[in-house]
Amino acid sequence: MIDLLVIGAGLSGLVAAQTAADAGLRVRIISKGLNALHWSAGTVDVLGYLPDVGTPVEAPLGAVESLQRPEHPYRRLGRQRVEAVLSDFVSLSQRLALPYKGAAAQGINLLLPSPAGAARPSFLAPEAQHNGNLREQSPMLIVGFHRLRDFYPELIAENLSRQGYQARAAFLPIALITDRDDFNTVQLAGAVERPEHVQRLGKALQRLARPGERIGLPAMLGMERHNEVMAQLQKTTGATIFEIPTLPPSVPGIRLFRRLQEHLRQSGVRVEAGMEAIGASTSGRPPRVDWVATETSARPLRHRARYFLLATGGILGGGFASDHTGRVREVVFDLPLSVPQRRNSWFRTSFLDPRGHPVFEGGVRVNDAGQPVDEDGHILYENLWAAGDVLAGADPIQERSLEGIAIATGAAAGQSIVATHTAVNGTSAVPNGAAATSSTRNSS
Amino acid sequence: MTAHTTSWHSVGTTLDACIKCNICTSYCPVSAVTDLFPGPKYVGPQAQRFREIGQPKSPDSSVDYCSGCRVCNEVCPTGVKIAEINARARAQMVEERGLPLRNRVLGRNELLGRIGSMAPRLANFALQNPVGRLLGEVTLGIARKAPLPRWSTEGTFTDWLAETRDARLKAEKKVVYFYGCATNHYEPFVGKAAVAVLEHLGYEVLVPPQNCCGLPMLSNGEFAAGGDYYQRNVNKLGRFARDGYDVVGTSTSCTLTLKEEAPELLDLAGPDSESLQRATWDIFEWLRERHEEGELRRDFQDVEMVLPYHAPCQFRAHRVGKPAQEILSLIPGLDLRESHARCCGIAGTYGYKAEKYEIAMQVGAELFDFVREQGREVALTACDSETCRWQLEHGTDLPSRHPIEILAAAYGLYDLETRQLREGG
Repeated sequence: MIDLLVIGAGLSGLVAAQTAADAGLRVRIISKGLNALHWSAGTVDVLGYLPDVGTPVEAPLGAVESLQRPEHPYRRLGRQRVEAVLSDFVSLSQRLALPYKGAAAQGINLLLPSPAGAARPSFLAPEAQHNGNLREQSPMLIVGFHRLRDFYPELIAENLSRQGYQARAAFLPIALITDRDDFNTVQLAGAVERPEHVQRLGKALQRLARPGERIGLPAMLGMERHNEVMAQLQKTTGATIFEIPTLPPSVPGIRLFRRLQEHLRQSGVRVEAGMEAIGASTSGRPPRVDWVATETSARPLRHRARYFLLATGGILGGGFASDHTGRVREVVFDLPLSVPQRRNSWFRTSFLDPRGHPVFEGGVRVNDAGQPVDEDGHILYENLWAAGDVLAGADPIQERSLEGIAIATGAAAGQSIVATHTAVNGTSAVPNGAAATSSTRNSS
Repeated sequence: MTAHTTSWHSVGTTLDACIKCNICTSYCPVSAVTDLFPGPKYVGPQAQRFREIGQPKSPDSSVDYCSGCRVCNEVCPTGVKIAEINARARAQMVEERGLPLRNRVLGRNELLGRIGSMAPRLANFALQNPVGRLLGEVTLGIARKAPLPRWSTEGTFTDWLAETRDARLKAEKKVVYFYGCATNHYEPFVGKAAVAVLEHLGYEVLVPPQNCCGLPMLSNGEFAAGGDYYQRNVNKLGRFARDGYDVVGTSTSCTLTLKEEAPELLDLAGPDSESLQRATWDIFEWLRERHEEGELRRDFQDVEMVLPYHAPCQFRAHRVGKPAQEILSLIPGLDLRESHARCCGIAGTYGYKAEKYEIAMQVGAELFDFVREQGREVALTACDSETCRWQLEHGTDLPSRHPIEILAAAYGLYDLETRQLREGG
């Protein structure tokens, strides 16, 4: 039998699984399909706007202390814990050869050009996006490709200019990097890796760029050989190259997923996609989870483990289902939710309301250890934890906090499971790297 | 009856769950290598909105280039049954435009098997020489380089069963074996290995009359004929299912068809199909259950080898994980290397079609490269699906085995090189 079954292969589940595997636990991840990393920007957004009020945040870690909502995941973990976990993530990203970096001034959000040319607050970004930080004052050349449906350089350059950033747009023929008539960004990321393509692209960019300009390109500069493509382009052009996320599929998010998945494989953790968790069996007093059932081609399949982590995402990720009346339920354990159960209370009237929407803020209530609790704060199942967007207390869309919450709560849940495992077995597990740093919990 | 007027139950309604996230597009192994297939999202849930009931023309011919590998279903985060939407759309095109003779022939695996088995040497000669293959390509459009199987020259699997009837184990514990056309006519040794393993575990193996599962017809859009074959299996095996016997199979696409593919595509839900669905297991899925109940014998011999194992897309579509990987990893000495390739390319009958052969080989390159990367000491590969094994052999020049052959060898019942049962086995 395995020690930990992680339900959900998104960022929180992956980080939790790695934390537990590093401490020597036998872990498996099951997921219905693949995850939001495939359509998110691949950055780590920690806190871009304050909850409830929507004012922009410059220093997210400082703001953690002033969060008003007691159930907010950051407030529960405390600033030190969040900071430590994010710094662990930076080290992990270096081991993955996909280094993430923050702003030069410590603790300040980066401002990165979005696919629409907005200045998007983000805390950590892979190097290629980090190079596009708008807090750096160098002019930008935004280069797109003819016939690429998912990237609009003129829109980006014009919007950036209106906000006072110096930017202009240019186009290159797509034939520089592919001979195909139909393509998407993932295929192009592969095509760019061919040495003759990266060379041709580099020379074409060199002709376009003016001295002192940095060059922004759609985020498809290589998949497995991304680092080599970046180095080669910067060498040929002599300019700083940066990536701007595209419409999905999102190559920077996929890069992160693939490298995390490969790292997990090397730790003996298998990610099994196509497995939809549909229920669970619980027993005993105090109650424990015995197994989780997944849907198969013929009959439910039972997955037994000592510990279970629910990381299925919120209403957007598929962790919750709703019916026509607006009733929302959690799909695996039917855990009590803080989501409004009437449809007319899900949303505020304005789609872009700076305070966000109640349906995204609600979720599973947990205690400080990350274990689901009832309204009185009693643990529901002794061996169940929850992490990521399934949690109550934050609207990650409004706050721009999706990845920060995923990493912080995923790592914290992983650490809490390791601590429980160590206490139960009476022996210390084999700590290895990040997991060792905080196997004891903050009391705050 | 047009193919999709039957109902929108399960398959059709899932398209509303599509959030256009493009995860399927980024994993589709076919659109990765050809412009002829724009990708699952476009051809599946998006085009489906224009395939209204009663609409005279199908809007999208590119659906014919979907190989049906179901990688899109596997990665879809919202549960859209993309491959099934495509299969129904293909059936609609067949209704409108008719079925090419070639596809009709490829769908008749059972019949081909039977004809060839009458004179296997002659059949092998006819289909394994360059002239015969060129003729097949020119007249029918069957790719001349594609890896056709060879008919067994030592009799069919059912011949062997009849010959060895007296030697077969009689026991209280019984299990039904579904062998599939390929095992019967081309690879009877896979069936023999399965029987040997099941008997080694103390099970009497029942092999009642059965026929082709119907999948080759379903995947070529010939729904009525495929449904007919499926229904005949329900009639033949339903009794055993109702009496509580498990039906295990070594051909992973056949078991998937019995479990889910046929009743789902054809909307044949009913008590008989449901009981057959619940009774049917892929053999390693079933062996894993035995293992979890502590019933799997562990009297293994060392099998010292590096073995690249590919869980085929048809197997992954069962959504039961990788039980063959789990069971084979119990064998001492065996250095199992897990493939993460999406698909070998052949996808049933897809890679046999002249216009799709090159696509299939390019799709398979990921898998062939993986095998090569495992080093020169590799002498065998393993895969649960017969057509995938033939494609693997074609793409790597290495022989390939069903995992049940590996397990039978580990129990000392089977010789992996000669593919014969060992004496006393």
